[in-house]
Amino acid sequence: MKKYLLLVSLFTLGIGSFAQDPATRGKELFGDMTARHIGPALMSGRITDLETHPKDARVVYAAAAGGGVWKSNNGGATFNPIFDEYCQSIGTIALDPSNPDNVVWVGTGETWTRNSVSVGDGIYQSTDGGNTWKKKGLEKSERISSIQINPKNPNEIYVGVLGALFHDSEERGVYKTTDGGTTWNKVLYVDKTTGCSELILDSNDPNILYAAFWEFRRSAWNFNSGGLNSALYKSIDGGKTWNKIHTGFPAGKLGRIAVAMAPSNHSILYAVIEAEKDKDKGLYRSDDAGANWKLLNGDFELVVRPFYFSRIAIDPRNPDVVVKAGLFGSISRDGGKTFKTLGPMHSDIHDIAFDIHVSDRMYVATDGGVYRTWDGGNTLEMVENIPVSQFYHVSVDNENPYNVYGGLQDNGSWFGPSSSPGGVEARDWVRVGVGDGYRVLPHPTKKLIYSEMQGAENVWRYDPVKNQTRTIQPLPQKGDPKFRFNWNSPMAVSAHRPDRFYMGSQFVHRSEDMGETWEKISPDLTTNDPVKTEQGKSGGLSADNSGAENHCTIFTIAESPLDENVVWAGTDDGNVQITKDGGKTWTNVVANIPGLPKNTACWHIEASVFGKGNAYAVFTGYQKGDQAAYVYKTTDFGATWKSIVSSDIGSFVRNIQEDYQNENLLFLGTEMGLYITLDGGKSWLKFTNNMPSVAVHFIDLQKRTNDLVLGTHGRGIIILDDISPLRQLTEEVLSKDFHFFATKTATIPESSGFGGTSTETQFVGENASESAKIIYYLKKRHTLGKMTLDILNDKGEKILDLPPGKAKGINVVTWNYTTKPPKIATGKTFAFNGFTPPRVPAGTYKVVLTKGKETYTTDLVVQYDPKSAIPVADRKLQEATTRKLFNLTQELAYIVYELDETIKAAEDQKSKVPSSAKAVTPLINELNQLKAKLVITTGDNYVGMGEPQLREDLAELYGKVASSFFRPSASELASQEAIEARMTTAKADFKKIKDKHLAKVTEIRAKNKLEPIVIKSFDEFLLQQ
Amino acid sequence: MKLKPVLFLFAVCALFAAQAQTADDIIKKYLENTGGEAKWRALQGMRMKATLKTQGMELPVETVNLSDGKSAVTFVVQGMTFNQNVFDGTTLWSTNQMTMKPEKSDAESTENYKLSAATDFPDPFLDYQKKGYKIEFIGKETVDGTETFKIKLTRKPIKVDGKETENISIYYFDAENYVPLVVESEITSGPAKGMVSQTKMSDYQEVEGLMMAFSITQGMKGQPGGATINATTVELNPKVDPKIFAFPAGN
Repeated sequence: MKKYLLLVSLFTLGIGSFAQDPATRGKELFGDMTARHIGPALMSGRITDLETHPKDARVVYAAAAGGGVWKSNNGGATFNPIFDEYCQSIGTIALDPSNPDNVVWVGTGETWTRNSVSVGDGIYQSTDGGNTWKKKGLEKSERISSIQINPKNPNEIYVGVLGALFHDSEERGVYKTTDGGTTWNKVLYVDKTTGCSELILDSNDPNILYAAFWEFRRSAWNFNSGGLNSALYKSIDGGKTWNKIHTGFPAGKLGRIAVAMAPSNHSILYAVIEAEKDKDKGLYRSDDAGANWKLLNGDFELVVRPFYFSRIAIDPRNPDVVVKAGLFGSISRDGGKTFKTLGPMHSDIHDIAFDIHVSDRMYVATDGGVYRTWDGGNTLEMVENIPVSQFYHVSVDNENPYNVYGGLQDNGSWFGPSSSPGGVEARDWVRVGVGDGYRVLPHPTKKLIYSEMQGAENVWRYDPVKNQTRTIQPLPQKGDPKFRFNWNSPMAVSAHRPDRFYMGSQFVHRSEDMGETWEKISPDLTTNDPVKTEQGKSGGLSADNSGAENHCTIFTIAESPLDENVVWAGTDDGNVQITKDGGKTWTNVVANIPGLPKNTACWHIEASVFGKGNAYAVFTGYQKGDQAAYVYKTTDFGATWKSIVSSDIGSFVRNIQEDYQNENLLFLGTEMGLYITLDGGKSWLKFTNNMPSVAVHFIDLQKRTNDLVLGTHGRGIIILDDISPLRQLTEEVLSKDFHFFATKTATIPESSGFGGTSTETQFVGENASESAKIIYYLKKRHTLGKMTLDILNDKGEKILDLPPGKAKGINVVTWNYTTKPPKIATGKTFAFNGFTPPRVPAGTYKVVLTKGKETYTTDLVVQYDPKSAIPVADRKLQEATTRKLFNLTQELAYIVYELDETIKAAEDQKSKVPSSAKAVTPLINELNQLKAKLVITTGDNYVGMGEPQLREDLAELYGKVASSFFRPSASELASQEAIEARMTTAKADFKKIKDKHLAKVTEIRAKNKLEPIVIKSFDEFLLQQ
Repeated sequence: MKLKPVLFLFAVCALFAAQAQTADDIIKKYLENTGGEAKWRALQGMRMKATLKTQGMELPVETVNLSDGKSAVTFVVQGMTFNQNVFDGTTLWSTNQMTMKPEKSDAESTENYKLSAATDFPDPFLDYQKKGYKIEFIGKETVDGTETFKIKLTRKPIKVDGKETENISIYYFDAENYVPLVVESEITSGPAKGMVSQTKMSDYQEVEGLMMAFSITQGMKGQPGGATINATTVELNPKVDPKIFAFPAGN
């Protein structure tokens, strides 16, 4: 008996688990609250792999380091994202040679293993050109370097798995499926530290494979490339057996090996080898399918940073044209003997793809996006619509619209507006730093900006008004040890003292004069572990001391918004330090955190607005091979901590942002997207509305607008406008069928510029809506029956209906403060200004939502911009004039309607009663003559348009006045008088014609038993469609 | 006590039923719930009068679709009539908004129209095999906050700039009442090529025994804006003057 019950509950749980998925629960709650992307795309971001269609030169795929998969259907002019719902770190893309239009494989996990690289979660397949995707296993592979598909058998696929970067793993090597990815067999494995970095299949004989294996390992403070296990293997029996093909290779340890086969001659192979001795490093060539190798060239571009640049591309038509990825990229036209650098473009080249028809045309993957060349690599142009910028950090100011600040991987530091006329364009962004940017902070009260580059090599205070820069980083003074700054050094400003500025090395540095003078206010707060501070030895076979591995450093600093003496510092080696006396004494409180493994990097501390001792701490163990989520809250200065993560979180975590009003509302930046909790962390929902599963590195909340601003590491800046409805989500609200959320007073915007300057192929970020918002919660999606949303004025008259949102969860309906445009007289052409809808005056409007038999109402307050200089009297004159011209427009429409109906009836009468021609013809003629003065009756809607008549003049004046915010000009008012006079004349003329002819015509109609001419009333006319 | 094993079996059956859901089951249920296949099959034509709301404008619109593939969309703007996507079985045409004169669509668009839009009426899923369409159940997905069945509809391939291209639409059917809530498809030509268009359906109402969406909103997935059509009247098997479909002579 009990067994049955247990089974029942297990099954129920099984069914229910669908609804428990945090993304699904998020979709059920967030309804149509939608994130917007503002890019930017002007510096784009790191592209890891390119794939061209083997038969259709229009189709190109690009893989981003943190921004998913992008597809071009127009030969690389523009790209669209096609992989938003899945892991955004991409290693490789492959098209099935036997069905390249439809079958696309994506291996996740970037393989250019810099320290900031993210992690993949398996291999995916689309069978419809990227419309839909299915995961096909290898979930723990972390990094997939290559996918090779047998051109004669699409179910036989080989995958090169590079594997984990920061820890041992057996999920590495060459995998093979013979059933299209349902099952996988590992056909070549070396050991837990050595993965497959490149895999090639010979399309002429798909049993022949080449696999490069690389022994490598990273820690947060060190990198090792190379070992005795690195090797190049060949199989000639479909992966059953493998042999090293090293004849001609250098002896000893090897590092990363790049390898490529000439598409036009499969016996010719090229390999770039990282070796122990510098003289052995370089490009090797084999002309006998790998049996023998010869070193040709050891130029800088060939051997530079193999972990970051190990791709060779060969002209599909000429085996002697070879391009090597590198710092700038280089090309050989003599079979690898000599190379020249590619033309200017963003540095750090990761992949090159030749056009399938024209060798002069290539695509290049760089740290700054996709480039195209038309002349064999001499001149390169950037693709301008791929916003895969990798922000490390984001902050906002309080301007209107507010600006967004942040630093990027290899793309400097920037700020730009959250909205801009015509959308947020490339030209809106201002550079405020070079190199790898990180934090950018606006001065709290002055128009000054703090920014920095990699490892505090430079810290700038930039004056954007004067365009003046000053370097202000803390420098060691007499007696100081060397300062250890993290690659991404922390900075902080104070909510209490605007000129205060903090920076962190192993010490907390504080300046009270914007960085002019510095004081160390802490001892070394790190573990100062000598083993972790020997960056000079980092790199393995190729020294790589860029500064990116600096360790035992402070990574986050937060001053309490409630007490200037309470300052937190979190270190990358796992300390959480707090001072309550402005830096005189510090306490390491990390030992008080339950369940946190030792030395887990403290990625972020958020000092709370809800209590001096309240703070959140986020830890990231990813660089120790620990991908769990660690988020804690303290309310007693770190004496005790409580974990606030749940099993809902699917990846490791980098940042948290609290709401400033509702303590239980928190936003979590994870490696796989944005999570939100409404209950202080007991359960988390994933936000997915136009929000890819991208790594969210930093979050800020703009206090005035309540906009949540996300610095993503791969999809630029993403904004979730106005999260205030989430504050109001209580159990009571959620239990109701329907609920209107309280909304702010809506302000009618007065901007009326001419938009932007972007060209057709440039990315333009979406603006925040300036419309009034009607926000409500629906317990269930509205699907059956009628639903309407009406706006009523203060007299209770309906002035407009809007299309209501019908999603389950939160719905946001926008209203642009206008009502219906006037009904326009029928003419031969458009009166374009007649399309202008009049704006409503400030006031309180009633919103009435009707759903079946239920009616729900709320008030919506609309105000004029309180900062506007326009006097109310001017506004009232503008509104009254608009109304007058609106009414005149409709009055004229009615006259023309009556006139047309009369002509129609008279024509009809003339044909039915030919004897009445004498009586009706003058009527018809005179009405037509009058009509020709009222509306345009000839021409077209372009340059063939007839001379404007009363309707057109009236509509033009109406449109000018109605769309203006200012008092109508003297000229406009005089024009109005003239038009009114013409209307009076028109009406009189019409009356005169009717008086003269209509009685006779009516008499004839009656005599001949024709229906009387029926003219609708003015109100009926307005209602008719 | 004996009820418990039954309950258990019921739970097991429910679980398997949920898993064994096929695309054909879902479509069958959809057609049943909206009036039944026989009724749909008997439908010869439909005229819808509606209001189109877009970018603050509101336009009256009328659509006519017949089972032989003929169709017409007519807008009235400032008293002037515009035709869009009028199809007489051979020619697809629209009114040019500059000259107000009819113009034929390009040959490829016309051929593509014949392959899908002209054969869809009254519903693409009705006798889909005979139309040469394929359907596939992709899985459950939550859209508009609601649990749905995701069905991929593959119509006959179309030509895009001379190249044969798959014609795929993704339908999301309400898991509760089996009516489509959302349709998505990749735009295959023009400047928006590669972007995904999204159509949302609601306000289903009965018209002579058939359930029809009276509110249809079309836009780009993830983008604001879009246009909403709200039907005011739907007339089944209307009398239609065949002249309205013909490309006007002398143009």
